[in-house]
Amino acid sequence: MKLGILCSRIRLEEKLIFKALKERGVEYDRLDERHLALRLQANGPSTSSGHCLAEGACPEPCPERSRRGSERYDLIWCRSISHSRALYAFSILNGWGIRTVNSYQVVLTCGDKVLTTMALIRHGVPTPRTVVALSIEAALRAIEEMGYPVVLKPAVGSWGRLLSKVNHRETAEAVLMHKAALGGPMHSVFYIQEYVDKPSRDIRTLVVGDEVVYAIYRRSAHWITNTARGGKALPCPLSSEIRELSLAAAQAVGGGILAVDLMETDDGRLLVGEVNHTPEFHGAMQAVDVDIAGKMADYVLQQA
Amino acid sequence: MRVGVLCSRIRVEEKLIFKALRQRGADCERVDVNTITLGLSEGINGYDVVLLRCLSHSRALYASKLLGDNGQRTINAYEVIATSGDKLLTSLALVKHGVPTPCTKVAFTPQSALEAIEQMGYPVVLKPLNGSWGRLLAKINDRDAAETILEHKHTLGGYRHSIFYIQEYIDKPGRDIRSFVVGGEVIAAIYRHAPHCITNTARGGEAMACPLTPQIELISRAAAEAVGGGVVAIDILEAPDGRLLVSEVNHTPEFRNSIAPTGVDIPGRIVDYVLEVAAMEAGR
Repeated sequence: MKLGILCSRIRLEEKLIFKALKERGVEYDRLDERHLALRLQANGPSTSSGHCLAEGACPEPCPERSRRGSERYDLIWCRSISHSRALYAFSILNGWGIRTVNSYQVVLTCGDKVLTTMALIRHGVPTPRTVVALSIEAALRAIEEMGYPVVLKPAVGSWGRLLSKVNHRETAEAVLMHKAALGGPMHSVFYIQEYVDKPSRDIRTLVVGDEVVYAIYRRSAHWITNTARGGKALPCPLSSEIRELSLAAAQAVGGGILAVDLMETDDGRLLVGEVNHTPEFHGAMQAVDVDIAGKMADYVLQQA
Repeated sequence: MRVGVLCSRIRVEEKLIFKALRQRGADCERVDVNTITLGLSEGINGYDVVLLRCLSHSRALYASKLLGDNGQRTINAYEVIATSGDKLLTSLALVKHGVPTPCTKVAFTPQSALEAIEQMGYPVVLKPLNGSWGRLLAKINDRDAAETILEHKHTLGGYRHSIFYIQEYIDKPGRDIRSFVVGGEVIAAIYRHAPHCITNTARGGEAMACPLTPQIELISRAAAEAVGGGVVAIDILEAPDGRLLVSEVNHTPEFRNSIAPTGVDIPGRIVDYVLEVAAMEAGR
């Protein structure tokens, strides 16, 4: 069994994953995406090239060596911190018939909030009211119609970056104007969502296959609760409602290893906000006593 | 005596200026900023004065520097363009000359900017150091807005957005005042009415005549002098307690919407001043 792990910067999560794999006696290649050149006419990256796809620096990847009869990867696991790199690498790998965790389709859906929300709605998973506008004028109209406060999010992005809570028309105008100045495809599609007045916390669950591994509260005085932004992880009892909703959300985007963000409304409903395709879990480790990396590794090995 | 007019796009303003020049029988020429090249030790041959009417601040800035350093008179002068083209330099010049201006703070990081905003109290106004037509001006009403706008500015990055210019918000009576100062004389003023806090006529602000009171004349002249004179437009805010505060000075003013309400021949007055300067230069 040949396993590759697509990564760049090695965070605590990746160290734990490598450790879990070693403990299971599994050999793997670290595929540093910063050195990877995928030759589209070739037949997929191989493990035969020794130095170039092995752990550490990789001066020149040579995926075409697979044509000389070397073994192909059975599975490539994505632990890349770059959504766009993961997305395009996986589109090529899946195109070559190499399995990936998660699949290209899942990375595509989860990496884009518009696609995520649409998948959730299609599968009947409750999610905040959302409007997508394609121009500043239409966005401003949609915001005024929805009523304040609203949240504006870039369709692509993580760690709570460039999220805006908009309480006034003046803020809406200023934020939209700045988005227009930022330019680019990411900032010309306006994802507008009702603001859910959460009880100073949200819930994040980790789904691995058909198991919900844990749930945590992310407590924060700030409305952006990402642990990357200072949200504090606390244990959250895994109720059947949280479990079912998490599994439904994971299934809606295509399943795999996924983190699901849930919000509690003031009238007691649970709504799914986002689904993350390459979850970080160093924050959760403070709050739950589960071998998270081990659970993930077991799932990946089972897929390979 | 010859006048060069350095321009890029010909707006209504430039058409009116050329018309006024022709009416006065002036020997004038349009110089296209898109096609000229300038050496470091030469002006543009044959002009006693060059009137700068390009849309781009940076082009006006460097053109005036190149010409000015080679002894060619420009309107406006480099110092005027450099000062009034930068809101921070403008504020400093106004303060130095005792011209009342809104309370302003500068911060160099989003974190310190947020602290300064919280200290100043909401609402505040965030402005890019340069830029016109009210672009990227943000009225910040609460901390949520401050955080996201600062983050957007930080992401925008670059020279323009890495200095945070924070100003107290003046609760204007649905209008501000723009006066035109030409060669030290206040020739006209308009009210710019808008329900919106950004009153630029380019953004839908409606122009109406504003009587030239002694206070307006005084503060306008002082502001023009603070940045170095020439042909400038002064943006004046009326505070709720009746004080007048200068917020900005514009070195290449648009004026198409100010002629009808004031009845003042603004392009004519500008051209008269340009010709007067040109005559002086020619006589030197």
